[in-house]
Amino acid sequence: MQITIGQYFPGRSALHRMDPRAKILLTIAMIAAVFAAGTWLGYVMLFAFAFAAIRISGVGMRFVLRGLKPIFFIVVLTFLINIFFTTGGTALVHWKFINITDKGLYAATRMALRLILLVLVTQLLTLTTSSIALTDAIEALLKPLSKIGFPAHEMAMMMSIALRFIPTLLEETDKIMKAQQARGADFESGNLIGRARAMLPLLVPLFVSAFRRADELAMAMEARCYRGGQNRTRMKSLHFTKLDAQAALCVGAVLALAVIL
Amino acid sequence: MAIEVTHLEHIYMPGTPFEKKALDDVSFSIKDGEFVGLIGHTGSGKSTLVMHLNGLLKPSSGSIVVDGLNLSDKDVDLREVRKRVGLVFQYPEYQLFEESVVKDVMFGPLNLALPEEEARVRAAEALKMVGLPESVYDKSPFELSGGQKRRAAIAGVLAMKSNTLILDEPTAGLDPHGRDEILSIMRDIHAGGTTLIMVSHSMTDVSLLCSRILVMNHAHLTLDGTPEAVFSDGDAIRAAGLEPPPCAQLAERLRADGWTDIPTGAYTKDALADAIAASLGAEGRTDVCR
Repeated sequence: MQITIGQYFPGRSALHRMDPRAKILLTIAMIAAVFAAGTWLGYVMLFAFAFAAIRISGVGMRFVLRGLKPIFFIVVLTFLINIFFTTGGTALVHWKFINITDKGLYAATRMALRLILLVLVTQLLTLTTSSIALTDAIEALLKPLSKIGFPAHEMAMMMSIALRFIPTLLEETDKIMKAQQARGADFESGNLIGRARAMLPLLVPLFVSAFRRADELAMAMEARCYRGGQNRTRMKSLHFTKLDAQAALCVGAVLALAVIL
Repeated sequence: MAIEVTHLEHIYMPGTPFEKKALDDVSFSIKDGEFVGLIGHTGSGKSTLVMHLNGLLKPSSGSIVVDGLNLSDKDVDLREVRKRVGLVFQYPEYQLFEESVVKDVMFGPLNLALPEEEARVRAAEALKMVGLPESVYDKSPFELSGGQKRRAAIAGVLAMKSNTLILDEPTAGLDPHGRDEILSIMRDIHAGGTTLIMVSHSMTDVSLLCSRILVMNHAHLTLDGTPEAVFSDGDAIRAAGLEPPPCAQLAERLRADGWTDIPTGAYTKDALADAIAASLGAEGRTDVCR
């Protein structure tokens, strides 16, 4: 099982050292830029910026592109839908019920480029930020909302626990899968119903162990007197640095250019 | 020749920053009917190694041949391999899933495409072998005690009647009584003609049962020999991050204190007692031990 999308890639690059709050805000700004851009020149500039950022991050280009694989299908699908179902413009191909116009081709290409850019930009955030830093930042950003009763700390805690246990559960799944394969279980062949049935020896032990883990975790947290977010201080407090200001300037420039171009 | 491993190498997640070499140039062979102990510290590659022996992992390079089946072959029949080599994982009780104990044990035989009745007969045999009474057959496996669950899970692999059985840390997390039960079950299985491989870091367990010991250290196979030979080399065992069994340590201390006629290979209680008695007798120092 190789899922690289969303996986943290340890490193010491400028992007890794940025404040996670700044990274989240700038990622949102970049998403805005992707939607604001309307011309080919704008897209070229955004791609150049994204690739430059990947270069700076020190995460291998191959690793990033591998993360695009899972969304490849979605990109192709939206491309096809856009190309066939956009009406208006001059017809390029007209054959029976198939009708491809220049406007359709334009819209489809734009949509595909946008999707790829979105994944590239957001992936860069998760690749260079550990899940703990990410949830800390989300908690800090949502903090103002707790004044109106929004449970910012609890949300962040739930997120960090969920994220923390994804690799554990993946490992567990792999182990149980191997154990059942050693007993001759077959997870790969068979029709849809057969395959769903074959998942049973995997899912039952997995659920049992997930519940056991949840119980143990709750117990361990209570044993250490956890009682929610009030008056808790952090071991690593977040600080904005010059690096964040520089990054903000760059992204600001890109956003401005995307709007103008 | 039952199992033959040559120049086996396994690398986890190659080409990423998480790359890790778990096995490096490991070669050995195991004959039918042997009882092999595989020991090593945590992360030494023991578990990775045994997962290769029934085709759950593919080697990065090197080869594994089981009864003439080459596991690196693309079109090797994995079901055939798993029929020959059974593997009981660490904490096997966590893979129980069926609604009754007997159904869970039948899972393996049914996967081998055996008819229902045959699977039931095999399940009953296996459950008898691990000493579970008929009264638990129709209970849910989740109602059993920890030790019983462990034994039911072992029965699940036993019922596949493989001629080689590998157990990964079969006594981990059990109390002394549960441990003795499992060890005696293993002795019975071996007496029945099955080749056994036990992965462990309990020197005592290994010294009680095995006729041959393999020691893993940082992805390498560093020692391979009889328990006498392996345990007499205390320094090599410590270099692998392990401790010799208590009796071998006592023998070492005695030798260091001038009892030079205590053999280095005395690693069981009986052998050490005999050696001490012989040493005392030879020197006519019966007075020392009253």
